[in-house]
Amino acid sequence: MSAITSPKTSTNRRINWGRVLSYAVLILLAVIYLGPLLMLFNTSLKTMPSFMKDATSFATELNFKNFVDAWTKANFPKYILNSLLYTVSATAIYILTAIFVAFPIARGYIKHSGVVLTMFVIALFLPPALIPQFQLILHLGLYNNPIGYIMLFLVNPIGIVILVNYIKTLPKELDEAAALDGCGYFRFVWSVVIPLSKPAIATVVVLHAIGIWNEIIAPTIYLTNKDYYPITRGLIVFQGVYGSNWPTLAAAVLMLTFPMLILFIFLQRYIISGLTQGSVKG
Amino acid sequence: MNYHFGRGWTRWSPYLLLLPGILFYFVIALGPSLATTVYSFTDATGIKGATVNWVGLANYKEFLLMGQASKDNLSALGRTLVFCFFVTTIQFGLGLLVAMIVNQNLKGRNFFRTLYFMPIILGAVIQGLVWSLFLYPLGGPMAKFLALFGARSEFLGGPPFVAFAWVIAIQIWANMGTTMIIFLAGLQTIPSELYEAARIDGANPWQVFSNVTWPLLTPSVNTNLTLNIIGSLQAWQLFLILIGYRNGTQVLGYLIYATGFGQTSGSVTSSFRQGYAASASIILFLLVLVLGMTTNYILQRREARIME
Repeated sequence: MSAITSPKTSTNRRINWGRVLSYAVLILLAVIYLGPLLMLFNTSLKTMPSFMKDATSFATELNFKNFVDAWTKANFPKYILNSLLYTVSATAIYILTAIFVAFPIARGYIKHSGVVLTMFVIALFLPPALIPQFQLILHLGLYNNPIGYIMLFLVNPIGIVILVNYIKTLPKELDEAAALDGCGYFRFVWSVVIPLSKPAIATVVVLHAIGIWNEIIAPTIYLTNKDYYPITRGLIVFQGVYGSNWPTLAAAVLMLTFPMLILFIFLQRYIISGLTQGSVKG
Repeated sequence: MNYHFGRGWTRWSPYLLLLPGILFYFVIALGPSLATTVYSFTDATGIKGATVNWVGLANYKEFLLMGQASKDNLSALGRTLVFCFFVTTIQFGLGLLVAMIVNQNLKGRNFFRTLYFMPIILGAVIQGLVWSLFLYPLGGPMAKFLALFGARSEFLGGPPFVAFAWVIAIQIWANMGTTMIIFLAGLQTIPSELYEAARIDGANPWQVFSNVTWPLLTPSVNTNLTLNIIGSLQAWQLFLILIGYRNGTQVLGYLIYATGFGQTSGSVTSSFRQGYAASASIILFLLVLVLGMTTNYILQRREARIME
């Protein structure tokens, strides 16, 4: 720290100006990033008449009833449970199958492993699969069905790329040593590769799970039964009904935003490493 | 590569265990993606059991060359390009600027990085609803701000180009963090000795940027440009949440969804015309392909020039 500040004696004034300007930009942007969230928070504590009178006035009334209303009227417990079910099951199936795809590719234990990897990457550049995917699910009889919905989220090529790149950094001597000890292929992947790849697995799991949790187009297309709605769809429906009652709607949105923000603070580094690794690709 | 885990039938275990993942990939992603081309030549609907007929290029003809509907389609195509242009350039410029700022040794830089990156985790629904409230026309924060200058606006409910401009702004708000993070990762790979050397040579800040930072940032520049262009051509979730399917604001992605899955807009009701929607998907894909490949070509020539 001190080494960085020392060699700046002669150019002191110019650097200070740069700093002032830097802070100005950062604070201006911070207002744009925080403003909407603060407005949401403030509105969620207001009563409807007070919101109508002055939407931005400080919420002195602390009307916590909005949260109770939103929670009961919006059918939130059910929707959150659905979202959890979809996110957890699809992510679990995906990551298990993805590890068994990534490991042999990274090690070259299957023929043409390079071609197989390219095939996964190519999907990112092909036409959107939207229409045939719908036809497939429809003809399998899985339209408006949680199983059909979960099926949509069992693929994620970027995750494979991240896993392959990580597994390549594990020493190959491990494989030889384990095999000499009589360890089988499945047991090796299960009890050696998976524990050693935890950082990459965590990154892929977090990225994939967030994608499913936040998905709004797929539930709009595939789920018409209210009992199957994930929380995103539930929130949009709630907006359709209570759209003009911003205090209640704001309470509903805040109840979903807050846990995500807390989660974000803990998971941030996994998301960041996923984005930077996934984009560099090697 | 030497395989150590046994011979004979056990040699097949990697293949067997790989099978589920590959199968999912073929059935759910690659197969449907390729089948989009086939569907684009048919009159498929979203109704189970309806017959599907081969119609040749009829969908494409209708999309591009038939009356008012094609005019709307072409303006949606134009709007997609406008959206892509503004989102890409502003998000790229802003992301680079902010990355350079938070790469300095400033107080609270971690807080700012986290804050700008935060919308990523919230997802389109919360992003959209939060901004709908912030842009509440009857005395919301932005309306009050405009009132200071004696101006007023309906924002998302206003004229189409106003609503459209706001979606561009919110799209950038939502995704600038990703661009920033990728630039930041790139900036951190530039050795500090190069900056020291430039300072000793008496280079001014602009010279340092154009001779050290910018050329050495090439990999992140390429990644960000490609990601931003492809991403913004395909993005339409925020349109769905912020303004719905409104005439004068549609982009191609939304149009595909609306024609394929039924959506009413003004007097036009579309009804599950999935073959037609598939042809629109292919047109969007060609747009992504052409723009993506052109950009890649230009970027690679530029990289080769810098390497000399």
